[in-house]
Amino acid sequence: MTRGLWDRETVALLLIAAYAPMALTWLWYGGTGALGRLALALLVAGLWHLVFMLARAQPPSLAGAVAALAVAMLAPEDLGPLRLILGISFGTVMGELVFGGWGRNVVHPATVTLSFLGFGFPAFGWPDFVPPVFWAALPAALIGMATGILSGALMAGAALVAALAWANGALVPGLMPAATVVLVLLVADPVTSAATGLGRWLNGALYAALTLLFATRWEAVAPAQAAVAAALLAALAAPLLDETAIALWLARRRRRHGRP
Amino acid sequence: MARRPDLLDTLSAPLLRQNPVTLQILGICSALAVTTSLATALTMAVSLTVVLTLAAGVISAIRAHIPETIRLIVQIVIIASLVIVIDQVLQAWFAEISRALSVFVGLITTNCLVLGRTEAYARFHAPLPAMVDAFGNGLGYSLVLIVIGALRELFGKGELMGIEVLPLASSGGWYTPLSLMLLAPSAFFLLGGLVWAIRSWRPEQVEAPEFVPPARTEPAE
Repeated sequence: MTRGLWDRETVALLLIAAYAPMALTWLWYGGTGALGRLALALLVAGLWHLVFMLARAQPPSLAGAVAALAVAMLAPEDLGPLRLILGISFGTVMGELVFGGWGRNVVHPATVTLSFLGFGFPAFGWPDFVPPVFWAALPAALIGMATGILSGALMAGAALVAALAWANGALVPGLMPAATVVLVLLVADPVTSAATGLGRWLNGALYAALTLLFATRWEAVAPAQAAVAAALLAALAAPLLDETAIALWLARRRRRHGRP
Repeated sequence: MARRPDLLDTLSAPLLRQNPVTLQILGICSALAVTTSLATALTMAVSLTVVLTLAAGVISAIRAHIPETIRLIVQIVIIASLVIVIDQVLQAWFAEISRALSVFVGLITTNCLVLGRTEAYARFHAPLPAMVDAFGNGLGYSLVLIVIGALRELFGKGELMGIEVLPLASSGGWYTPLSLMLLAPSAFFLLGGLVWAIRSWRPEQVEAPEFVPPARTEPAE
C-alpha cells in the first residue's frame, strides 16, 4: 500500500456505507419491485463497467453501484426493463465511462440517466418517498459528512436556502423528501460537486434555489423531477462556481500582497 | 499536391476519410438544427450540395481575377446569390419544407463548410476538380445529415419520411416514441456517437491528446 488508504475505491465504499441506511429503508418499504429495479440497475451498470475494462483497460469502480442505487430509487415508475436498460446504458456510458471512468466525469451518471428518462419518456410518473426514507437520508448525510466524503458546506448551503424559503412561507409542500434524497444521492457526489469551500456553499444553495424555482414555476412537475433537473444544472454549474471562488481568492490575495 | 489530382479520389475522400462534419467538425449548426426529420435533412443536404458545387465552379472560374484583399466579400456575394436562388426555388415548389427549414437555408451563406471549401480549394484549382471536390464535400455533409435525420425521426416519431415504420403505442402498436430525439441535445449525442464510431473504426482520425498524464513514479500496488 504505497499510495495510502484513500484511493477512489475507498471513497466509493464509504459512499455505499453512507447510503446504506437510506437504501435499506427504501428497499424495506419498496419490496420486491424495488429490489428488482436495483438488481437490474446494478447488472446493467456492472456490465458497462466490464465492457470498458475489457475494451479500454479502465478499472471498474464500485461507484457504478452508487449510480445504480440512485437510478433505482429515483427513476420514473413503470418504465419497464427495456427503457430502464436504455437509460442506464446511456447514462453510464455517456455520463461517466467515455470520460475515462469515475473521477473524470462532469455530471453524475445517474443524473444523466434520470434526465434522459425524464425528457425521453415524459408520460411516466416520478416516484414519491415515504417519510421513513426521508428520515433515513439524514443519517446517510451525517455518515457521509463524518467520514468526509460528502461536503458539509454543500449541505449547509442547501439547508440555508431551504430555511430561508420556509421562513418566508415559500417552501412547496411535499418537496422536501425528494429534494433531500436527490441532494444526498446526486448533488453531494464528491466528483461532480464543487471542490472549493465557497464553491460548495454556492453549489448547495444553487441546487436548493433551482429546485424551489422549478417546483413553483414548472407546471405539473413532480418533486423528484424538479430536484433531478436542478441537480443536473447544479452539477454543470459546479466548475463555474469553483472558478468564481478561486478568482475571488486570487483577487483578495492580490489586494493583500500586491502582485500575485 | 499532384499536378492533376485524381478526380475519383477527390470525390470519395470527403465521404468518410475527410468527412467535413465528423473530421473537421464544420457545418455543425445546421446539421443539428434541421435533422429533426428525414425530409428536412434531405432538403437541406441537397440545397447545400447544389450551392457548394455551383459556388465552387463560379469562384474557381474567376479565381485569377479575384483580388486577394476582397476575396471573402466576392465569395460571400457569389454564395449568397446562389442561396437566394435556392431559397426561392424551395419556397415556390416545397413551401411546407421551406417553412420547416426556416432560416437555415438562408444561413447556408455563412456555413463554414461552404466558405471553407471555396477558400481552401476552389481558389487554387481549375473549375472541374473544384466542383468535384465541392460535390464530394456536399455528399459527405449529406451523408451525416441523412444518418442523423433518419435516426432522429425513426426513434423520435416512429416514422421515416412521414411514413409510419414503428407502430406507436398510442395507436395500438408497441413502440413508445423517445421524445428526447426531437430535442436539440439528441443531435449532439448522435453526432458525438457518430464521430466516436468513425474514429474507432479509423483511428488515424483521432486527434492528438492535449495533455499527457504524468508517468507514475512509484510501482503499482
